[in-house]
Amino acid sequence: MVPQSSLKNCLQLLCILQAPKAGFRSTASGGLIMQSTSNDVYQNLAVEDWIHDHMNLENQQVLFLWRNSPAVVIGRHQNPWQECNLRLLRQKNIKLARRRSGGGTVYHDLGNINLTFFTTRKKHERMENLKLVVKALKALRPQLDIHVTDRYDILLDRQYKISGTAAKLGRTAAYHHCTLLCNTDKLVLSSVLKSPYKGLKSNATPSVPAAVKNLFEEDSSLTSELLLDAIAEEYAMQHKIDRHINLINPADETVLPGINNKAKELQTWEWVYGKTPKFSVSTHFNIAYKDSVLDVKVDMDVKHGRIEVCNIDLPEQWLPPALCSELVKNLTGSKFCPNETTVLVTTLLRACPQDGDLQSRWNLLCENIKMLM
Amino acid sequence: MALRALRRVGPGLAPRCPRLPPPLPPRVLAARRLGTSSLVLSARKFTDKHEWISVENGIGTVGISNFAQEALGDVVYCSLPEIGTKLNKHDEFGALESVKAASELYSPLSGEVTAINDALADNPGLVNKSCYQDGWLIKMTVENPAELDELMNEDAYEKYIKSIED
Repeated sequence: MVPQSSLKNCLQLLCILQAPKAGFRSTASGGLIMQSTSNDVYQNLAVEDWIHDHMNLENQQVLFLWRNSPAVVIGRHQNPWQECNLRLLRQKNIKLARRRSGGGTVYHDLGNINLTFFTTRKKHERMENLKLVVKALKALRPQLDIHVTDRYDILLDRQYKISGTAAKLGRTAAYHHCTLLCNTDKLVLSSVLKSPYKGLKSNATPSVPAAVKNLFEEDSSLTSELLLDAIAEEYAMQHKIDRHINLINPADETVLPGINNKAKELQTWEWVYGKTPKFSVSTHFNIAYKDSVLDVKVDMDVKHGRIEVCNIDLPEQWLPPALCSELVKNLTGSKFCPNETTVLVTTLLRACPQDGDLQSRWNLLCENIKMLM
Repeated sequence: MALRALRRVGPGLAPRCPRLPPPLPPRVLAARRLGTSSLVLSARKFTDKHEWISVENGIGTVGISNFAQEALGDVVYCSLPEIGTKLNKHDEFGALESVKAASELYSPLSGEVTAINDALADNPGLVNKSCYQDGWLIKMTVENPAELDELMNEDAYEKYIKSIED
């Protein structure tokens, strides 16, 4: 491991370096391999932002290796309600993150490795990076049947996806990141990536589901560490650089000034949920109460994650119309979020008559509305 | 509606046009080939990040160039700013998503967003099909007309594309 101080010098050097003279560019082949010491998805995504925003990639390319504790990561223009089971995420304490690149939703845990290839926008070449990964895997286990598809997936045995790709192209810098399934919990993966929400209508980019497989299932001697080393080695060889992996701590402001603010921003509700493209929910649910079953119709328009328009359709005799319209009025403008709704309905309930039967009906209705979120 | 005005603008960016000897300027060539107004064509200006802007009555219409849309591939989502957003030249104002890549958009000038192309919400592919007409992105005020002079005209942009392709 390189001491943090020397990595700091190295990063500073990369940030200060000016573009080389034209004649030098063709022969120059530089690069740096870094690995995160953190398993926090927000911190690791912040490192990507930091490198993208601050490093001069003109004559130095960067490979960043990272792993996360359980997290669902949605693409920049996706709708989390459409892509995953948010209730299950909350129950299991799985983080939800929105990345800045395009593409679909993925599940990360320590059995999955993430690779980010940073280049200038001009040199951005996803296919080359994926071929590098395939070459590294083949060097490790020549018998593996793996290839890259034209959708930039890596398939194992012609049918199982082991790697998905996304990219972000900025003004001068660009990055391509991909996942690589080594030993991920597939049961959790498939259960969290199933949306239980009905009646959503949205123009958000949808994910394309695929059958997945872990490399570990194909060859149980393959570990994350082995794969990371093999990829670092291939990267180093192709870029004619030292194969040493530099460890980087994404909380270290002395090495990455401003990094903590970037990580914080990625965790805000405004970024994770608020950036969801405008969508609508049009659904109905049944409430069983005493001897009757009630059909409730709900329509909502949600913009920037907030309820813009709200309609709740239910029989007058079940809930006083005044109370129902008060609920609609309060939901309008509030976050499409169960926690915020809980606060809101509790406050409203305090102001309504202390009638036990009415309160039960109110709670049933509100619980069902929260289930939509 | 400004969209109608835009329809008069000729399609087909210069890269597709054959190179002719100097006496014939490219816009005459385009006018002859496509039968469009050279006056409007000459008003379209380009950034080195492949956005274009054409200004009419103080309002600029912004889109991406044919070169850019071809490089991106099929656009599946357009993220555009709110009307009223104030932009400085070079500010990021949105992103286009295509084949799993998000490409950021940069404002060619300083000004305020006055309209966004609502048709792109249901039909983002318009950016590919008609990048100079129906696939426009935003309209904006032109705060500092001098900034227009810093942008490339069609001819300079065509040369620029050739230089980066080599």
